[in-house]
Amino acid sequence: MSVLRPFKATDMFKFNNINLDIWTETYGIGFYLSYLSRWPDLCSVQEAPSGRMMGYVIGKAEGSNTDWHGHVTAITVAPEYRRLGLARKMMGLLEMVSDEIYKGFFVDLYVRCANSVAIDMYEGMGYSVYRRVRGYYGNIGLGKGGRDEEDAFDMRKPMSRDPRRRSVRSNGRDMIVSAHDVS
Amino acid sequence: MVLMFEEAYKQQPTNEELGAQTFFANVRASHWKSAQQANDPATPPTMKTILYKLAHRLVTSSPTPSYQSNDRFHLHLSVLQELELYDDAHKLLDSDIGRAICTTSLSCNEIRRNIWRKRGMIVDEGKLAMQRISEKHDRNWLEFLSVLDATFSYFSPSDESISPVEGLEHVRKTKEFFVRIAGEDGAKDRSAALALLELEKRARVHGISKDSTRLVILMQDYFNRVGHKACCFEDLKPYIELGENELTDWTSFLQAVPRSFDTPEELQRLINTHKLLRYNLTQSELSVEAETARVALYIEQYLEGLKLGSNLLSTELQYADDLALLATNSLVTLWRITSNEEYLFSAVTLLEFALTKSKQSFQARLALIRLYRLLGAPSLAVDHYRAMGVKQVQNDTLSHFLLSRASTFSLASTGDLTLATECLESTQIYLSNSQETADFVVRAFQGERYSQIPEFIIFEERLDNSLQRDIVKMEYLRMRLTHEQITSDVIDMELIELKFIFDRTHYDNRDFDIMSNYQPKVSSDIFSQTNLLEKNESHGWLKTFLKVYIRAFQQGSDLDDSVEEKLLIGDRPKQSFGEDSRPPLRQRLAEPLTEEELAEVTFFENIVARSQDSFSPQLTQDELLFVQFARALAEWLELYHDYTRPPPNVVLAEAAKQTELKTGYPLKGVDLAALNRSSPTKKDEEPPAVTEPPEQVARFFETLKVRFDETRRNRSLIESLHVATLVQEVRDIRIFRPEELTGYQALLLFVVETLRFKSTVVVKANKFGALAASLKLIRGGAIEVLRDISSELVKQSEIVATQENRNTLIDACVTMTSRGVDADFLSNVTQKIIDSRKKVIEGVSKGIERICSTYSK
Repeated sequence: MSVLRPFKATDMFKFNNINLDIWTETYGIGFYLSYLSRWPDLCSVQEAPSGRMMGYVIGKAEGSNTDWHGHVTAITVAPEYRRLGLARKMMGLLEMVSDEIYKGFFVDLYVRCANSVAIDMYEGMGYSVYRRVRGYYGNIGLGKGGRDEEDAFDMRKPMSRDPRRRSVRSNGRDMIVSAHDVS
Repeated sequence: MVLMFEEAYKQQPTNEELGAQTFFANVRASHWKSAQQANDPATPPTMKTILYKLAHRLVTSSPTPSYQSNDRFHLHLSVLQELELYDDAHKLLDSDIGRAICTTSLSCNEIRRNIWRKRGMIVDEGKLAMQRISEKHDRNWLEFLSVLDATFSYFSPSDESISPVEGLEHVRKTKEFFVRIAGEDGAKDRSAALALLELEKRARVHGISKDSTRLVILMQDYFNRVGHKACCFEDLKPYIELGENELTDWTSFLQAVPRSFDTPEELQRLINTHKLLRYNLTQSELSVEAETARVALYIEQYLEGLKLGSNLLSTELQYADDLALLATNSLVTLWRITSNEEYLFSAVTLLEFALTKSKQSFQARLALIRLYRLLGAPSLAVDHYRAMGVKQVQNDTLSHFLLSRASTFSLASTGDLTLATECLESTQIYLSNSQETADFVVRAFQGERYSQIPEFIIFEERLDNSLQRDIVKMEYLRMRLTHEQITSDVIDMELIELKFIFDRTHYDNRDFDIMSNYQPKVSSDIFSQTNLLEKNESHGWLKTFLKVYIRAFQQGSDLDDSVEEKLLIGDRPKQSFGEDSRPPLRQRLAEPLTEEELAEVTFFENIVARSQDSFSPQLTQDELLFVQFARALAEWLELYHDYTRPPPNVVLAEAAKQTELKTGYPLKGVDLAALNRSSPTKKDEEPPAVTEPPEQVARFFETLKVRFDETRRNRSLIESLHVATLVQEVRDIRIFRPEELTGYQALLLFVVETLRFKSTVVVKANKFGALAASLKLIRGGAIEVLRDISSELVKQSEIVATQENRNTLIDACVTMTSRGVDADFLSNVTQKIIDSRKKVIEGVSKGIERICSTYSK
C-alpha cells in the first residue's frame, strides 16, 4: 500500500529517510535534475499515505542499435519499508516504460557481487547475470567479501523487442570485463 | 549576457536560433517576464491567462500533434487545465491514444485524475480505478483512494438526487470488493486491508457505520497480517481514534501479544505492540514510576533482541534497534518530568551502545546530536553529525540539527572555528543551486521535458530562499562578530548582505519529520521536546534578529541606499510583486514586532522553574530584554548617527578615491570635488543636544547582573529544597543560561552601534563629549558584568570535571550496566561528555574575557 508517482525535483527536500542509509548515495543537485530533464518517466517514487517517502528509482535509456536499453541507475528503499515488495513495483514500472515507450531491447542494472539478497531478488524478477565487472565499486575497498564486494554483476532482463533473448546469456557469471570497458 | 543576446536578436529578428538562445539566457537568469513564463509568481493574474491562451494557440496549431510524446501531451493538458478548458482536455484524454499514454505515464495519469475530478467525474474515476485494481493488479494506493472517493461521493450534501439507501449500497459493494482483493492478496500486499480501514473510518465520519466493534476488529486483522513489518505502526496510526470501550479492547488485544520472541518477525511484532501501546498512553500513565519500568523493559528486550542479529553484517541494522529508540523516548519523557539530567545521560549511553551494534543507525545519531546539545556537549554532536555524511541538498534540510542556535556553543571568540566552518560549508549548496539549476531548466526545454520545468523552478526558488540558509547566516554573523574585530568594513559588508535577505519570502525546507517519534499522542513529539532552547526558531525569530542587526549596522555605516546603489556591482535581488507599495526599509526596521512575529519568536524557559510540559510560546525574559535593549539603543543614538554620518557625495568620493588608489581607475560618474571642501563634516544645523541614555539602555547590564545573581540564589534555594547534592549542581550547568549569551551579544551590538563615536575627532567636532561619557560608562558596566560571568563559568567548568560528578553520571546508567553493558564502555562515554562540556564552558569563559579586553577601551 503505497502511492506510486513520478519523482519530482522537490522530492530532494524529503528523501532523507532513504538517503541517510549507508548504501544510498546523495548526489549533487545536477545528478537528479539531469535524469529528470531527460528521462522523467523512468524516475518514480513510492510514498506512504502519510506522505513520507518510502523509496525511489532513477533510470535512463541508453545504447545504440540492439544495445538500446533501459538502465536502472539507482533503486532504493528506506530501511523501515524493506521487504514490502516496493522495489519490485518500481522495477515493474521502469520495465514497462522501457518496453512500451522507449522500445528498449532489455533492462539492465549493476549489483555488488556480494549482495546475494539483491541478486536473488533480481533473479526472481527475471534478471540474469550478463557479465561480471571488475572493480566497479572500487572506491569502497576490500571488505569481508573480498573481490565480491568491489565487483559488480551486470544483470539483464530481455524486453518484448528481444523475443529470442539475444541480450542475455547463461554463462554470464564467467564473462569478466574491467570497469573501463563498461559505460 | 542576456543583454547581448537580446541585442543580437533585435538585429536579426528572423533568426530563430538567436531567439532561442535569448530565451535560454533569460531562463538562466530567472527573468521569467522576458522569457514569457506564465507561472512566474511576479506575473499578474490577467497576464497569466493571456500567456496561457497564447500557449494554447501554439500547442493546437503545432504541426506535430501533442500526443506524439508524453511530455507534449502533458504540456497540452496542463495548458488546458490552467485555462479551465476541462471538456477539451477530456476529449483529448478520451481517445485511444490518450488512454494509452495515461497507462504508461504516471505524470499524464496524474493530470488526468485532476481533470476528471474537476469535471465532476469522480464516479467514473472510481470505476476506472476498480478496473485497474482487479484487472491490472495495480496496487497504487491512489487507485484505492479513487475508489473510496467515488464511494463516498454519493453522500455529498450538494447532490440530493441520490437516496441514502443507494449510497449505502455503494459502500457495501466497495467493502465486498476490498474484502475480495484482501483475500486474494493475503500477505503479499496490504493495500486492500488498509483500504478496508479507511472505508470504515470514512463511514464513521458520514455517520453510516453500524457496527461499533468493526474498526477494532479491522485493526486487529491488520495487525495479524502486517504486525511483523516495521511499517505496521505508521500504517495504523491514522485509525487510532478510539472510544473508551474500543480502546480497552484494542489495548487488551495488544497486551495479549506474546512477549517472547525467537525470530526477527516475532521481535518486530513485539516492537509494534510497544509502539502502539505507547501511542495511547494517558497523562496519568506517564508517571516517573511507570516510565522507569518501561525503560527497564525496553532495555531488557533490546539487549535480548540483539542476540537475534549477532550474525548480521556490520553494515546492517539490528532488528532490535527500535527498542533502544523507544527507551530513549521514555528517558526523554522522564527528563521532561523531573528535569533530572541523569535521564539524558542514560539515553546517550544507551544510544552510543546501540551504535556499536548498528553502526549505520542514523536514527541513533540524530537523537544523539540533539541530546548532546541539551547536555552542553556540542563537540560530540558535531562528531555524530559529521559521521552521518550529510551532503549536497541535505545541508539545507538537515543542518538545523547541528546549527540551530549554534552560536550558543561557538568558540569562535577563542579562535576555534569548528561551528563557523560548519555554517559556511552548509551554505555551499545554495551556490551550486544558483549556478546549476537554471541550466537544467534550459535542458528540460531543449529536451521537450516540459512536465519537469515548473517543478525545477519551484525547487530552485525554495532552495534559493531557504529559511535555513538565512538562519545559518544569522548564526554565522553572531559567531563572526565574536571572532573578528568589529570595524566599519565588517559593518558595511554585513549591512549589504543582510539587506539582501530581509525582504526575501522564505521557504522552510527543514526536515523535522526525519526523527522517529514514539511519544504518546497526548505528549509533544520527541523532536519538540529536545529543542535546544525549548522551541524551534522560525520566520519570526529570523525577522526579529534581522531587524535588530540591520538597524544597528545601518546606523553604524556610512553607506546609505543611494551610495550603495552606485557602489554595488552585480545582480540585485529579484524584486517581488508588490514591492513598490511597501514603506521604506528604514521605517519597517523601526516598527515594533507584530503579534504574529512575537508569537513565533521562541524562547528559553528557566529549566528549574518550568512546570511539567507547560510552556508558552513567548519571548523569554532575556531575549526580549536583548531586543528591547537593541531598540532603545538604536532610538537613542539615531539622531547622533544621522547628524554625524558624512553626506552621500562625500562617501562616494572617498570610495572612488580608494578605488583609484587600488586599481588605477576612477569610478565612473562620481564627483571627487566633494572631498576638497575644507571641512566635510561641517553642517548647517547645530549638532543635536546630547540626552541621557534611556533606562533600558543604561540599566540593561545592571538588570542582567541582577538576573544572573537571582538565578544563582534560586539555585541554592532549589538545592535546599531538594537534597543538596552535586547532582543538582551538575544539572544546572547543563547549558549556558541566557543571561550570559545575551550579555555577550548585547556588548557586541553596543560596539557596532558606538564605533562611530569612538573617534575623538567626531566627538569634538559635534560636541558629543557628554555622549561619549555616557557610552563609556555603559561599556564599563557591561564589561564588569561579563567578567563576573566569565569567572563564574570558570568555577562551573571545574565542577564539571570532579570525580563526584563523574560517579553521578556513571550511577545513572545502572539499568544498563546491571544487564551487562561494559563498564569501560560507560566510563569512556562519561569521560567524553565531561571533556566536551569542560571545553565549551572554559572556551566561552575565555572568549568573554577576550572580548572584554578587546573592547574595554
